[in-house]
Amino acid sequence: MLLRSHRKRNFRLMAMIRMPPTWVMRIFDGVYSHRSPPVLGLRRTHQYLTSIRSSSSSSSNGSTATTTAGDYLRQTDEELMNQCEMDTFKSSGPGGQHRNKRESAVRLKHLPTGIIAQAVEDRSQHRNRSAALSRLRTLLALKVRNPIVLDGYKPPLELLQILPAKSTIRGSEAGSQIGPNNPKFAMGMQALLDLLSTVEGSVSTAAKILGLSTGALSRLILSDDSLRAAVNDLRTSKGMRPLK
Amino acid sequence: MSRLRLPLLSSASTTLRRRRSPRSSYSSGAVITSSSASHHTPPLKLQSPLFLRPLSHSASPSALLSFRRWAESLARSSAADLTFDGGPSSSELIREISWLLQDATSQDGDTFLLRTDLEDLYRLWRQRIEERRPFQYIVGCQHWRDLVLAVSEGVLIPRPETEEIVNLAARVEGLQDGMWADLGTGSGAIAIAIARMLGENGKVVATDLSEMAVEVAQFNVGRYKLENKVEIRQGSWFEPLQDLQGKLSGLVSNPPYIPSSHIHGLQAEVGRHEPSLALDGGENGTDHLLRLCEGSISSLKPGGFFAFETNGDKQSEQIVDFMTTQWSNSFHDIKIEADFAGIKRFVTGFRR
Ligand SMILES: C[S@@+](CC[C@H](N)C(=O)[O-])C[C@H]1O[C@@H](n2cnc3c(N)ncnc32)[C@H](O)[C@@H]1O
Repeated sequence: MLLRSHRKRNFRLMAMIRMPPTWVMRIFDGVYSHRSPPVLGLRRTHQYLTSIRSSSSSSSNGSTATTTAGDYLRQTDEELMNQCEMDTFKSSGPGGQHRNKRESAVRLKHLPTGIIAQAVEDRSQHRNRSAALSRLRTLLALKVRNPIVLDGYKPPLELLQILPAKSTIRGSEAGSQIGPNNPKFAMGMQALLDLLSTVEGSVSTAAKILGLSTGALSRLILSDDSLRAAVNDLRTSKGMRPLK
Repeated sequence: MSRLRLPLLSSASTTLRRRRSPRSSYSSGAVITSSSASHHTPPLKLQSPLFLRPLSHSASPSALLSFRRWAESLARSSAADLTFDGGPSSSELIREISWLLQDATSQDGDTFLLRTDLEDLYRLWRQRIEERRPFQYIVGCQHWRDLVLAVSEGVLIPRPETEEIVNLAARVEGLQDGMWADLGTGSGAIAIAIARMLGENGKVVATDLSEMAVEVAQFNVGRYKLENKVEIRQGSWFEPLQDLQGKLSGLVSNPPYIPSSHIHGLQAEVGRHEPSLALDGGENGTDHLLRLCEGSISSLKPGGFFAFETNGDKQSEQIVDFMTTQWSNSFHDIKIEADFAGIKRFVTGFRR
């Protein structure tokens, strides 16, 4: 239940909710908002790594060369955490009963990929850890690419689920379309980005494979800010115009 | 990437958080389960935490924005006076203003509904700055692990360091269906978090000497609907546990551990506002810790687990020393565990 609600709070997802007018932002965030990333007095906490490693029969030894983003995303929170180094605010002084201070920022570094996710806005470190973890999932989906073999390619279910109903290859087993507010969206996004990078950023080629018009796939890409940014990065790197 | 970091403190996120909290029916008064029949004082009136009060006031956006500006400027102009004893910095205070507004308001179209009147917000923020009243007492709650716990004057505000004690307990195998005890439970934080991860037959007895703590803990237990899993008893350390001698599977405690001579120099939020009953651990700070170590010999069953929070480093070593020399026949696997800041904060072990 905690995780569910945290996925809801996931910032990528929050961004999809209608942005409140600026005056609301000003009331809640203040004039000098704390929006800039925090300066972390870094303190490395290996404790999490070691405690879980020693007690779990985790399969994530990271030794295989073929780990894909999808593999990372399919892991449980605990398994994913197992691959991370966690930094928290360094608290100076004796701490504990001596102090009334919130030092709740959390920064996670995913060791196999070097991807960093952090969360600072919640009052509890526990929650910031969950938020950082769910951000990490989004970032893994966006940043870790695995080329696919186009010959005989069949889009995975996660990808079919984020396609609009009018896709001709989308069967009824895919259920109703999953939007960016659903935690499963990250998995579909990851598969879509793998496909797009394999076809060198060509939206029309990918659209054909997915049984969609180029316009319909573009609309899907543009519906999520982080997906759009990732696709445009990819296109720019291939010398193509970004989607608008 | 930068966008991913942007904390959106819109009312939407507030609503989400609120929905996740258990519904509270603020019952007319917490029931005090007292171990000694001599306690017949009527239930104390616990002020409802701000975020649970009804939305019975309203304010225009501009009025709220003026409040925000005033509160920020007060925070900025006073921060220098606050930080000298380890108090909050101005950016921390500004974050607190956001949290205060999250707890106090709910957006409804172009107006804001408030859980207290605007004047009260001004009064509360002045108390925060001028009297150094802890933020958590101002809003009446503390976010701790995945819980939102009611707190109020007279009860220690649970510390982030203490969250780890629950993880230590969670790691122990085979005791999930036993009887656990949280001695000196305060707001009930540890007891509630442990109760939520115990098995179907697992139970927690939570005790405190302070009547206020007993009331607040009972309220929090009720809010998380754990009345059947957590039993609150009032009394000193092991005195309310007479019936559980040798029966406990687990014993956890965060007893007062600050050496008496340090109480005066504490950050004002702590020293001036939190109960000294919850902080003062006697001359070396170890008075209560040693009582707990000794008492756990007779109350834990063989194989039972204990975890105590300490003042850190030296104090942990002292306790371990004591246990390994004086009571080596009674315990095994005695260990020190660090908190998130790397301070040797906890002593754990098992009854032989
Ligand atoms: C440091 S506070 C810990 C509160 C809570 N367990 C927490 O971690 O937030 C210590 C608690 O021990 C209680 N206490 C102090 N002396 C006690 C005694 N003799 N018997 C039982 N509880 C006592 C205080 O009232 C206080 O609630």
